Amino acid sequence: MSRVTIPIGPQHPLLKEPVSFNITLEGENVIDSTLRLGYVHRGIEKLAESRSYVKNITLFERVCGICSHIHTTTYCQAVEGLLGLEIPRRGSYIRMLLCELERIHSHLLWLGVLAKNIGLNTVFMYAWRDREIVLDLMEEISGGRVSHAINTIGGVRKDLSSTQAKKILADLPVLAARVRELLDIVNNDRSFKARTQGIGYLSTQDVYRYCVVGPVARASGVGVDLRRDAPYAHYHEFDINVITMQEGDVWARAIVRILETIESIDLSRQIVEKLPAGDVTVRANRKVPEGEFVSRSEAPRGEVIYFVKSDGTQTPKRVKVRTPTLTALITLPMQLEGLQMADVSAVIAGVDLCIACADR
Amino acid sequence: MNKMIQKIRSFFYLLPRTLSVFFSRSVTRHYPFHDPEIPERYRGRVNINENNCVGCSLCVLDCPASALELEKESKSQFRLLHYQDRCTYCGQCEDSCRFNAIFMDNHYIRPAFDRDDFFVVLVNRKEV
Amino acid sequence: MIMREFALYIFHLAFFPGFIFLVASGMFFHWIDRKLLARFEGRVGPPWYQPLADIIKLFAKEDILPIGTNQLFALLLPLTSFASTLSAGFHILGTLTGTVSSFNGDFIMLIFLISLPSLLFFLGGWTTSGVYSILGGNRSLLQYFSYEVLFIMAISGTAIASGSWSLAGIFNAQSGSMPYITLQIAGFILSIAGLIGKLKRSPYDIPKAKSEMVMGPLTEYSGGKLALWKLADFLQTLSGIALIVYCYFGGLWLPHTAIGYVIFILLMLTIQFILSIISAVFTRLRIDQLIDLNWRILIPLSLIHNLLIMIL
Repeated sequence: MSRVTIPIGPQHPLLKEPVSFNITLEGENVIDSTLRLGYVHRGIEKLAESRSYVKNITLFERVCGICSHIHTTTYCQAVEGLLGLEIPRRGSYIRMLLCELERIHSHLLWLGVLAKNIGLNTVFMYAWRDREIVLDLMEEISGGRVSHAINTIGGVRKDLSSTQAKKILADLPVLAARVRELLDIVNNDRSFKARTQGIGYLSTQDVYRYCVVGPVARASGVGVDLRRDAPYAHYHEFDINVITMQEGDVWARAIVRILETIESIDLSRQIVEKLPAGDVTVRANRKVPEGEFVSRSEAPRGEVIYFVKSDGTQTPKRVKVRTPTLTALITLPMQLEGLQMADVSAVIAGVDLCIACADR
Repeated sequence: MNKMIQKIRSFFYLLPRTLSVFFSRSVTRHYPFHDPEIPERYRGRVNINENNCVGCSLCVLDCPASALELEKESKSQFRLLHYQDRCTYCGQCEDSCRFNAIFMDNHYIRPAFDRDDFFVVLVNRKEV
Repeated sequence: MIMREFALYIFHLAFFPGFIFLVASGMFFHWIDRKLLARFEGRVGPPWYQPLADIIKLFAKEDILPIGTNQLFALLLPLTSFASTLSAGFHILGTLTGTVSSFNGDFIMLIFLISLPSLLFFLGGWTTSGVYSILGGNRSLLQYFSYEVLFIMAISGTAIASGSWSLAGIFNAQSGSMPYITLQIAGFILSIAGLIGKLKRSPYDIPKAKSEMVMGPLTEYSGGKLALWKLADFLQTLSGIALIVYCYFGGLWLPHTAIGYVIFILLMLTIQFILSIISAVFTRLRIDQLIDLNWRILIPLSLIHNLLIMIL
């Protein structure tokens, strides 16, 4: 049989962001694929070396659109670690609340994209309709639907008023009921399972070998979640349930993400109920003393690591960011081997790609 | 028997849900025909309480997009300029100001054809 | 006298169940489909003039093809698909309104005319060669071989039961007794499945799905030729639905009466509803699952069904 090379190239209706796969087909099966990144590289780490610490918060918010709040949280934690600050409890709780709401938003968006790539437009529209509830809540709290701009070095800019807390507590059960319906569909619908079960398999040894993190690793049996294992920002006061599955295919990843969404809804409700009183921010110096700090957190796609090195002036010497999508991307050519052409779209959507994070 | 019904129902699992959505109202917000509901904290436009501003230029130093500019001649004669097309509406100026002068309100800025429509003079203080 | 007859012919060909009426009805059914799909998802859906605006916009766009394509074929293929579905639609609606008389064997002619665009779809991808077009074309050919057979076998059940190969014969055999929908419900379901496969709608969406092979064989077309392919698609849908309604619901209306036309249109709308809801509920099947489903389950069922009809 002859071999054909198809470019699933930088521009393709299948992809949200530009990344290039060149897939070699023999007949109907995929033999080989190559990966090229770097189409969205903006040089953010180099830019951060010439701007002050305060200006960098807005810069790092724009590394990724969906996980923008977690990037600023991790960066602010690193700088607060260098300054030796401890932010007030109420500010930390508001940061955690927005992290969880962002996780819900990201997983619902991903479910819609997976359903669209499989061909089920109805579930795409239902998931994105439920995402609107979360976006409206985030707009009320912070002022923007996707770019929140609520973090600052030393805490949080805006406080949560009591009417907003009541609205959150009223909207969350509605959202939980709808996400449970989506879970029912993924668990029971036969055509959904026929398209997603058994493809894109990642074994547990491969997870350890390639250092995969996030829901992709949890769906293959490796239960690592930084909110429980290395808690940051007062997560040690809550009971986190880490969800793992053993199958390791695209369907298992869908189940893991939806169950995590339900868990996050419950966690947000607990955070709002237990919100302590007090200030939300502490004053921070502009000049940061010399030193290095590593801060980690759990983004919707896995573990985010920020390394900040300062030399005593108002601009950092080096900021290094390690985002979770890169680890999952490296395993993608291995997952695509032996599949049929029609499964490629489901597997590419199943690994939640955020190329803007991976390229920076 | 129950298992048989489950199995048959799993073929058409979405059908009852789809029909119930068909018979209810659509979820779309009819934007140009109804006004959108803008929440209070929406970051729409940079505004200022003129009397509080002393021209300290903290907001100018901290703006990530260099959208604010201060032309200072003396302590009581200065102009604070704002380029709305460079602004990212992040709210950092509001956070940096210590005198409660500059703030963001939720007025939505409409698009325009000319770049000069986006240039705003926030404070124009003259010597008395 | 001759002039009056001639003028009447031109009127029938161009207007009434002719060119303009057919194109308008095709656009109307396409709009109904899009509106129903939008409503199933909770959206509002496009306004009534949307398909007309799309076709007009396509005619206004630039028409480029890759270097090395045979320009004559690239024009002839969409034109022939449009022409064949136009003829099929004209014949069915003409038989309904009495302007064309149904002859013996027109059932087979209609099946041939309605299925010609699917073959030309694959050839269209082959002439404008590009990676996506050829691979999408291969898949569409595979689907064409399978689902045409299913459609023909399922809908021939009515012809066998009525004992004639003409539309009028099938209609007359049902006028006296029950319409065939009650006796041949299995055949009806199988021919709906075959129709979905022929029209390349979801769940048998592989040749045309955007996330699979960009647009399949039609990737390189633009401008007027793409508008002709789309018009051929609208008319294929219209003719397919009209053929099913004619064959299965034959005795339910009196010919050439106003109430008959209303009932015919309502039945066509019901079948369009069934097609849309099946599109909304199922995912897109993979090509091997498609062929598997067809040759292992659906065709044996239709064989058994036809045997039972021949015996009883």
